[in-house]
Amino acid sequence: MWKNRHVSLPLNPLDEIDRPFPVVCLGWDAVAGPGAASAAAVRSRLERLTALGVDVALLGAAGVDAVDGRLHARPGVEGRLFFILSHGAEVYSVGPGGPRLIERRQPNDREERQLAAAAEAAQQEFAVRGLHTIVSAGRLGRRIVDLLPGRRGAIGPGSRRTLEERLVATGFRDLGEAVSLVRRVARAQGVARPVVTTDGRRLSIGLTGPADAARWVARNLGADRGRSASGVLVLGRQFGRVGGAERAGRRLLVPELDGAAFVSLAEERDGVPVGVLQLGGGSVTFLRLLDKQIEFRERVARDGFPKLSGEEAWLYRVEGFDPFREREVETWLTCANGETGTRGALEEGSAASTPATFVAGVFGDGTGDPMIRQPVPAPDWTCMRLRLDGSLLTLANGEILEHRRTLDMYKGLVTREWRQRERSGRVVRVRTARFASLDDRAVMGLRAEASLEESAGVLVWEGCLGISHAGGPARETTVESLEAPGFLAMTRGRNGGGHGLAAVTMPAPGSPVVRRALQSRDMIGGWVEADEPASVDRLAVVTSARTRPPSPAGLRDLIDDAQTVGYDELLRRHIDAWSRLWEHCDVTIDGDPVAQLAVRFSIYHLLSTVQPLKPTVSIGARGLSGMSYFCHVFWDTEIFVVPLFIYAWPEAARTLLTYRYLNLPGARQKARTMGHRGALFPWESADTGGETTPPFGRGPDGEKIPILSGFMEHHISADVAWAVWEYWKVTADDEFMTSMGTELLLETARFWSSRSGRDADGRFHIRLVVGPDEYHESVDDNAFTNVLARWNIRHALAAWDWLKDAHPDVADKLHKQLGLTARELRHWRTVADDLIDGYDPATGLFEQFAGFYDLDEVDPARLQPKPMPADLLLGREVTHASKVVKQADVVMLCHVLSSEISLEVTRANYEYYEPFTVHGSSLSPAVHAAVAARLGLAEQAMWQFRLACAVDLADNMGNAARGLHMATMGGIWQAVVQGFAGVRRYGEALSIDPHVPKEWSQLAFPLRFRGSSLRLTFKADEVGITVEGAPLPAILAGREMTLELGEHVFRRGADGGWDRAAPAAQKERGA
Amino acid sequence: MTILVAHDGGPVCEELVASARALGRAAGWPLRVMQVDEAGVPAASCGRIEGLEVEHVGGDPASAILEAAAHPDVTIVALGLRSDERPGLGHVARELLQSSRRMLLVVRPGMRPIQDLKRIIVPLEGSPSTSEAMRVADDSFCTRGREIVMVHVVTGATPAEPGSMPAPRFMDQEHYEWVEWQDEFCMRFSQCSKGGRHRVCVRVGEPGPTIVAEAHDVRAELAVISWRGDLGPGQAEGLKLLLEKSPCPLLLVSQLVA
Repeated sequence: MWKNRHVSLPLNPLDEIDRPFPVVCLGWDAVAGPGAASAAAVRSRLERLTALGVDVALLGAAGVDAVDGRLHARPGVEGRLFFILSHGAEVYSVGPGGPRLIERRQPNDREERQLAAAAEAAQQEFAVRGLHTIVSAGRLGRRIVDLLPGRRGAIGPGSRRTLEERLVATGFRDLGEAVSLVRRVARAQGVARPVVTTDGRRLSIGLTGPADAARWVARNLGADRGRSASGVLVLGRQFGRVGGAERAGRRLLVPELDGAAFVSLAEERDGVPVGVLQLGGGSVTFLRLLDKQIEFRERVARDGFPKLSGEEAWLYRVEGFDPFREREVETWLTCANGETGTRGALEEGSAASTPATFVAGVFGDGTGDPMIRQPVPAPDWTCMRLRLDGSLLTLANGEILEHRRTLDMYKGLVTREWRQRERSGRVVRVRTARFASLDDRAVMGLRAEASLEESAGVLVWEGCLGISHAGGPARETTVESLEAPGFLAMTRGRNGGGHGLAAVTMPAPGSPVVRRALQSRDMIGGWVEADEPASVDRLAVVTSARTRPPSPAGLRDLIDDAQTVGYDELLRRHIDAWSRLWEHCDVTIDGDPVAQLAVRFSIYHLLSTVQPLKPTVSIGARGLSGMSYFCHVFWDTEIFVVPLFIYAWPEAARTLLTYRYLNLPGARQKARTMGHRGALFPWESADTGGETTPPFGRGPDGEKIPILSGFMEHHISADVAWAVWEYWKVTADDEFMTSMGTELLLETARFWSSRSGRDADGRFHIRLVVGPDEYHESVDDNAFTNVLARWNIRHALAAWDWLKDAHPDVADKLHKQLGLTARELRHWRTVADDLIDGYDPATGLFEQFAGFYDLDEVDPARLQPKPMPADLLLGREVTHASKVVKQADVVMLCHVLSSEISLEVTRANYEYYEPFTVHGSSLSPAVHAAVAARLGLAEQAMWQFRLACAVDLADNMGNAARGLHMATMGGIWQAVVQGFAGVRRYGEALSIDPHVPKEWSQLAFPLRFRGSSLRLTFKADEVGITVEGAPLPAILAGREMTLELGEHVFRRGADGGWDRAAPAAQKERGA
Repeated sequence: MTILVAHDGGPVCEELVASARALGRAAGWPLRVMQVDEAGVPAASCGRIEGLEVEHVGGDPASAILEAAAHPDVTIVALGLRSDERPGLGHVARELLQSSRRMLLVVRPGMRPIQDLKRIIVPLEGSPSTSEAMRVADDSFCTRGREIVMVHVVTGATPAEPGSMPAPRFMDQEHYEWVEWQDEFCMRFSQCSKGGRHRVCVRVGEPGPTIVAEAHDVRAELAVISWRGDLGPGQAEGLKLLLEKSPCPLLLVSQLVA
């Protein structure tokens, strides 16, 4: 086991440790032992290392007074320097105010007695052998047995020889045997885990030792901070043996630190254990190694600004600064993680800026009407001002030489690069990088870096809490300064929820700047040479509750934790989380950069807006990117957004549907209020589950206009039911159907049977509704509503039958809970069978609503160019009386129920309604694109797809200024995957019928379907499918098959069908 | 910052001077008056210019005015048109409109002269390059007690220029969209924080007649108009109509100025 590493050292032993270590442990013997470096030299290096983001632990037997008295190290932040002293019995965290005790292993009375007895018994054993010793009490109950009483000072060769002679003379082989004796005696006295250490002369008996210190490092600075042991460097002087006994350093080699680098700085004549690199060199080597680590870190600081993804297709760049477009830019560059969403406003602000941070699920009363819920924005945590020699740097101060902002969708990172010639003529370069952590959704981070080109000066970053420009409900915010510089802001909305935001700013690792608190502002800066970056990290955490502000104490803990982990590590974890997510959510389009950007931009924002762990929140119409629509949840979520999650991230889809389940009481209440049974989901939903649609709004001239959607747009209940069924069939998540899904279907079906009424014609009708085409309000028998209502009832009954078979106990409970009766269920079937749907088998057309065919015809030329706000241009009266359709309605029905409505019927309805449809809603173009693609209408499909892409990304309409269009984004995904690729659920199989645009050389994406993990690749005449996890029941252009695990390639044959191109195990069941 | 009033003693001279005086009061700009005597045209005098020193210049009127307007102090040239019955523009006005880099205050017989400048109308098509008029209105006239009516005429066309903000083409839920659009429209095209009232009017139709009608309806005292400096056939039809039909004086802000 033991060997002298002198003989086996590599040519340059430093190579083994020639890398940066995030954790450096120093044995106190190396810091303060014989020939140690000066305290000042060590202190400055420790403070520098901690400022550079390195965790440093100082381990030793000494007490804190001795250690701190000598070193007096004062790092800029607490949480990076630790003293683990008194043989591992005490742990101190050292900050600007000095050491603070955070852990202590204090023996209890019984243990104290046992240790005293052990020392006394050992003394007696030594005495019996003729060895005179003296016992004394050490710190924290330790007992010291001095084997050379009367000698003072350090152990030298002379005294070591004397002790060895005495030990041999009294029958001991060596000091190691004496240690073993004491350990044995201590156990005999009841000390369960005695730790006996020696400095070569004295034996120390206690309950803790160096191994405990090493384990503390491995746990607290390693595992808890997401690091492996290979990131730990231990520098000490006593790893070998003395007189046959293990020295303290040897005890540091615990299994938890397997892989750590151990370096002995002493000339240990008896060698060092395997795994310890013996360099020797004492204080010279010691300081050189610390300097090397500092150099590594400083290099990190210089190159430490986050790098963008290398592939341009992942980047969305905004060049320059245009005050007209700034709100759009802010929206596009929103950093969200489902918990919070922060608009991409300039850190220093401008007259054109509207910074805002939204906290999911926190609402308050916004008007006098408590029904109208508005989100409660948080203060602007990104507010960072930069001063150059005291003058504030803004885009308006001087000349903009370069200004570019980039959304890196792969990394979930927004960066800014800015060069400004300020009025004095000096050129300042500024870079920032921000993110909302996907790994820890409470956390947000921002790094800001500034440097001067070809000149030196004083650069100071000022971190503050800005005012949200989002407006919002009456609210109360209290702001207090944290003990460490930073802020804590607690906000509560009127009659609603609250949130707390804590933000701290600190020097970034490696930056030469220092912090000073000035009038409760975070001022961090200092003199910098030319091109030397003054970098700071701002970290913020948010916690929220729906009914009250959360605990400030919890918030403090969270910000402490975030600070401890640090920006770089938080960012690394965040990027890892995004990377994992993209693996099963990305869509690639080769040959069409515009389409590629649009689809990735859409997916990125959808993924960043969902909170998969919190079913009390859902995705609002504008996500977390703007105040518009008050973060209210519409049918947009279930019909447009949820499908992406069902196929790509089912866990998130389930959470979104659980939101509806949790809000069933509100839906039941709304149905009751309107005189119906079952569940009528609110047209606009927020935190309470109640209806939050205002009854009146303001028109273009500020005139008051009635809003009927909250009263009449009832199809949302069937939309929710549709999403539930779709989720179940695609994921096979029976547990969800058992615990929530069936109840949702039953309660919505109950609503429809109650909402429908039988008329004199003997048929059931649903009167006075608003369908998706909101130009026509108060209509009867809207086809979309009625057909989906019938579908809802029938699928609820199917789910009920399944539940009774699969889980009779649950069905029985639900039966009683809902008070279902056989009579009622019979009535549902009757309603479904006799409900008018407006379908004419002769033409294959659905009449959009009763009387649509009788409306006035409008010259199609008057409905150009599309999209157009027809009700504005033609007037409300004319529009209402005309065959003008705001958005996909019957076409939407054909899209949603594509597995039940034939392609022929879809084609007939698309051709009939398309000319009337003006796409006056952003929800419309993507759905028409998806349907046109399935119908093989390539040109129309592409035109409508591009129109959908332009909703948020065009720069000449201003649509995105107040928030992103989540439904459009979901629609873009559907147009690509379900339209152009033709991938949809059919029964419990995956139907694939591609119509890939000729501009696209390849379309590829992963999917999850009923236990299978798929990767689909489409080229003009080729389909590739890789199946993992479980065989895939598939229908390829009408041909049913089961695709076994592995790769499958199909090529289009001369007859237009798909032929297998590569052999693979496959079972075909015929057409 | 001076208003150069260039008159020929014509029928609208008094209204022109009165309007220029009112505009000068509103913006804090002094007046400089020059009478241009065109060769072959009998000189006429202009009343109500008491307290103002009048310079008399001869020669080609357009050249003389342009030369005077080239003085760096001159911000606005105030010009009277000959008649409210004759369509089109005279040669002097046309030359100034096309060549001057100063703003032009144009008064035609029949227009209500400016008195207190309580209400200004500014047509905006929603593109940045045509919003210079709004910047001028805000910078020069935005103050407490004065209203600036921003008239956006919806035609169905969408400007191609980046940064444009026409009336919404997509109207998902109008109770949200209109309020948001108005806020954003104001933020894009007006940055005045001096207490003046701003109101956005959305109208549908042909821009020229619609703006004329709106100026009548709101009893605007001044219309501030952005234009591209081209009066050729088929160009600036709305402006040409306003020159003939506007009920109030026009302050023309050419993009050449911007």
